[in-house]
Amino acid sequence: MTMVSRLWCQKTWQNLALAKVLGKEPKTFSTLVQLKTDEAIDDNDSQAQTNDELIKSPSLGNYRLVYPEFLPDPNPLFRNGIREKLERMDMLNRRSVLSIPEFYVGSILAVTYSDPHAVGKINKFVGICILREGCGLRSSFLLRNVVNGEGVEVHYDLYDPAIQKIDCLRLEKRLDDELLYLRDAPLEYSTFPFDMEIEAKISESIPVNDIKIPLNPLPWSQRWERYNLKGVKEIVVNERRQKKAAALAKPWEKYDLMKTYRETIPEEEQNEIFSDVYTKLNELEIQKNILKRKYMLQRQKSSKTRTL
Amino acid sequence: MFVPGTLFNVVSRSVSTSTVCNQIIKLTRLRVVDNSEIGKAAMMEGKPPRCIHVYSKTGVGYIGDRVLVAIKGEKKKGILVGLKQRQNAKVPRFDSNNVVLIDDSGTPLGTRIHVPIPHILRTIMRKNTHSKGADYTKLLAIATKFV
Amino acid sequence: MTSILKTFNGYQLFSKHLKQSLDMIAVPVRGRQNPPPRKRHPEWLPKPTHVRYNEDLTPENKEFLSEVASLNKGLHEMPKSPLNTELIQPAKWTQGSKRTGLIGKKIGVYPLWLKNGKKVLTTLIQIIDNEVVKYIPPEKFNPVKHSKHLHPKIKNGCLVLGAVNIDPQLITKEYYGIFNSAGVTPKKTLMRFTVTPNAALQSGTPLCAAHFKPGEFIDIRGKTIDRGFQGVMKRWGFKGMPASHGVTKTHRRPGNIGSGGKKARVMPGTKLPGHMGNRWRILKGVKILRINTKYNVIWVLAQNVPGEVNTMCYLYDTILPTKKNTSPHFPTYPPNDINALPEELYTDDVHPFTEPNIEYQSEQES
Repeated sequence: MTMVSRLWCQKTWQNLALAKVLGKEPKTFSTLVQLKTDEAIDDNDSQAQTNDELIKSPSLGNYRLVYPEFLPDPNPLFRNGIREKLERMDMLNRRSVLSIPEFYVGSILAVTYSDPHAVGKINKFVGICILREGCGLRSSFLLRNVVNGEGVEVHYDLYDPAIQKIDCLRLEKRLDDELLYLRDAPLEYSTFPFDMEIEAKISESIPVNDIKIPLNPLPWSQRWERYNLKGVKEIVVNERRQKKAAALAKPWEKYDLMKTYRETIPEEEQNEIFSDVYTKLNELEIQKNILKRKYMLQRQKSSKTRTL
Repeated sequence: MFVPGTLFNVVSRSVSTSTVCNQIIKLTRLRVVDNSEIGKAAMMEGKPPRCIHVYSKTGVGYIGDRVLVAIKGEKKKGILVGLKQRQNAKVPRFDSNNVVLIDDSGTPLGTRIHVPIPHILRTIMRKNTHSKGADYTKLLAIATKFV
Repeated sequence: MTSILKTFNGYQLFSKHLKQSLDMIAVPVRGRQNPPPRKRHPEWLPKPTHVRYNEDLTPENKEFLSEVASLNKGLHEMPKSPLNTELIQPAKWTQGSKRTGLIGKKIGVYPLWLKNGKKVLTTLIQIIDNEVVKYIPPEKFNPVKHSKHLHPKIKNGCLVLGAVNIDPQLITKEYYGIFNSAGVTPKKTLMRFTVTPNAALQSGTPLCAAHFKPGEFIDIRGKTIDRGFQGVMKRWGFKGMPASHGVTKTHRRPGNIGSGGKKARVMPGTKLPGHMGNRWRILKGVKILRINTKYNVIWVLAQNVPGEVNTMCYLYDTILPTKKNTSPHFPTYPPNDINALPEELYTDDVHPFTEPNIEYQSEQES
């Protein structure tokens, strides 16, 4: 009898282990924005795991985070190999003309663009990236800043040829994958000076800014209590809204493997896509690094001369 | 994460909590952003003007459209210079629905606009100005900042 | 005891009922309300028999055959034509000539930017392994005539085109016979295009995306997305009725469909619920913006090409009088000169991604 129970125990333990592995697997290779932040938080625990993968494919591992727009829409109704290939070629061609830096939601960007409504002027907008969406040539991002006490948001297409320059002034991540709640936060949390300079990169990994932001009192543009936000200090709502939020919460969705599968590109396909663009992207990255170093050296020199 | 409802009652603002209308139609509350006397007084009083007519075929106001507003018991014309709704790429979206008061000839009532104004307004204002009609380009001259 | 008996009795009764009712249930056989239109078998195809022949092949021979078949499949680059180009009679384009179209596959939609900075959505259409299968001269070409269409008095010939190579082992001998006589690899789809006799092509001539030029206008025929039986709001864009204010059970219904009196009937053509989509539609006057000669892909200025992604569509020279083509490649682009073309062809107003950024200059400067 004891033997049987032991055997059974072992079996269930194995099953559990399998389930655990299955749970982890889609996380590490998911293209979901939602899961990205999860990984950023428990980076330390999963470091041992991810290290192995990184060894296997030195830089392809984090390409899905650095270049999310190279992954196509997972909806099978819109997939086609040739179209994706042509789209990638176009994207690389554009990237070889304009160097698009690595950035995430929460990074501070400066976009210089040419505007038909303001010819012969330098149009520069600085702001925090609060949303990054779309895939392929449709990908776009949303910048937010406060100008003269008025919150301003501008939407840019990443591959728009009228954009002259994109600079990442501060490279960091936030706790959430969308920062749209900054619209309902005090203005000082989305105020950035237009004459900001590029900050020097300190560490190899991307720093995560774990600032907690208080929200303005009601009314809000969206019902933030329903979004499970991590970067918000405390959410003050009445009991009715709390109950409604609790009723509409879907805590089981993170265990839904089929949902993850439907909303992500499988690992093999990701590797295929990135190995296709790897050489060109690598070349561009090296060029970008050289330019960046030059710029930093110049700035150091100029600051020295100023102090003298 | 949640704070009890009693605290909420203390903190909550005494403003209308009806759902935000995402487009400028009749009876939308607007924000006057120039330094005209009447506009300043209305905003200080906490009674922002209401749009009572949109001069367009659809009755929905978009950026650069002319509106008729009810402000401090008077009827004034204004131009929408910044909207809260989602805009096209490279056209800014603002946190409030901004309006600049003008008179019938297109001359602004104030002398300064204290919020940024979208670049696209230059093209729209120039397009709307005809040689014999109102001159809306005067509005661009009193702007302090373009984004 | 009595209770047990009672329950037993009750069970019996119940079971009897069940059995009876089961016997009584007769599943009604519901025929189709509207039978599908009768298909006429195309005259150039042999009658299908659907019989797989046992070839009695050795495993080695089977392997060899599948190897040969795989060589022929999925070639994106145009194979070098074995045809002697002289066999294609060079003809001059004259007013009223009609050349062949192409069979394409809609592969997706993505934006391009014009030189003036405007973003436009374009549909990508791939031309896969298009080859001429057969030419039917005007004397022998007698298509089915629908009385409702006007028929031109000029008699045109017909070109049968095939697209998408398939494995010859998977098809019947009869179907293979069509291609065997023409000397082309078996194709998945066939389509006929009426042409004037001076645009006739020899069977086996490969056609590519360079058949069209960037800047030309085309008509695209495709089968729209099948949406099934739909109500009047989705199918015809009716407004429906209010959600509240005393409205009961008529939120998405059409409302009145006609008047009484003498006209006490439903007028023909009244918009009613029914099957939506899955019918042939032609999008006319679409501009070609860009052509990739390596992958044989055409970018057209439209986001509403009929059909889902990965479905076939047919491209013709447009019939719109103002957008008609005056100097096309006639009868087609010479298949042996493909390598002379650059990989990407653009119209003048499209911004290629390899070109530098767009900068707007003030008018005084430029």
